[in-house]
Amino acid sequence: MLHAKIIDLKKEKIEIKKAEEFISSSKFGASLVFKGTVRENNQNKKVTGITYDSHDAMVIKSFEDIYNEVNQKLKIKDKAVYIEHVKGYVALEEISIIIAVACPHRAETYILSRYIIEEIKKRSPIWKKEHYENEESEWLKGNPIQAN
Amino acid sequence: MKVKLELFGASRDLSNKNFLEFNIEEKISIKDFKKKIINYVDKNFKGNEYYKKIIEKSAFCSEDNNIIPENYKIIKDQKIGIIPPIGGG
Repeated sequence: MLHAKIIDLKKEKIEIKKAEEFISSSKFGASLVFKGTVRENNQNKKVTGITYDSHDAMVIKSFEDIYNEVNQKLKIKDKAVYIEHVKGYVALEEISIIIAVACPHRAETYILSRYIIEEIKKRSPIWKKEHYENEESEWLKGNPIQAN
Repeated sequence: MKVKLELFGASRDLSNKNFLEFNIEEKISIKDFKKKIINYVDKNFKGNEYYKKIIEKSAFCSEDNNIIPENYKIIKDQKIGIIPPIGGG
């Protein structure tokens, strides 16, 4: 069971509650909600916010690919996975990504959650433009996309 | 033929629209199309090295949202997306 979505912050909000509701089931004895938030410092620069850009269709495809390969790569069959990533401006402490997972046992949830975020970093076309205290801003360097 | 290059991430700074349009006379590989984009930077941004580096490090995607290799040939009017180095989360 997968929910995968890009949240355009001009139109809607990203909410933990929805993630918790989606993964909630008596089939699962363990659940984990990971959220990424904007922090105030990066490479000794005082950050005030981040603007996220994304290639929406490719991002959703990458989320689906990552989910679909979990059966084979991690041998985790029973699971609920909720992935949302924002696009638009995000202020300090606000959420940029939610990855909520539920599985029958706790060990699987930790493995699954970590796997998903690391693969997103490598494979999902999302970009960050950091904004700084001095009103400057810059696109972060990033890494070349990896096709699966 | 007309190739519409959709811009993402750092490449958005190349235009105040979300795309660039190129008129190309004959079929062209992605490798050579990259050179056309670099020529565009030479012309319009005085050869800005930062932009050139971004283009050199970028991947490209087709209209059906797949990453395409450098030897992929553009043979008709189409949209191509430029995918600069990524870093979400």
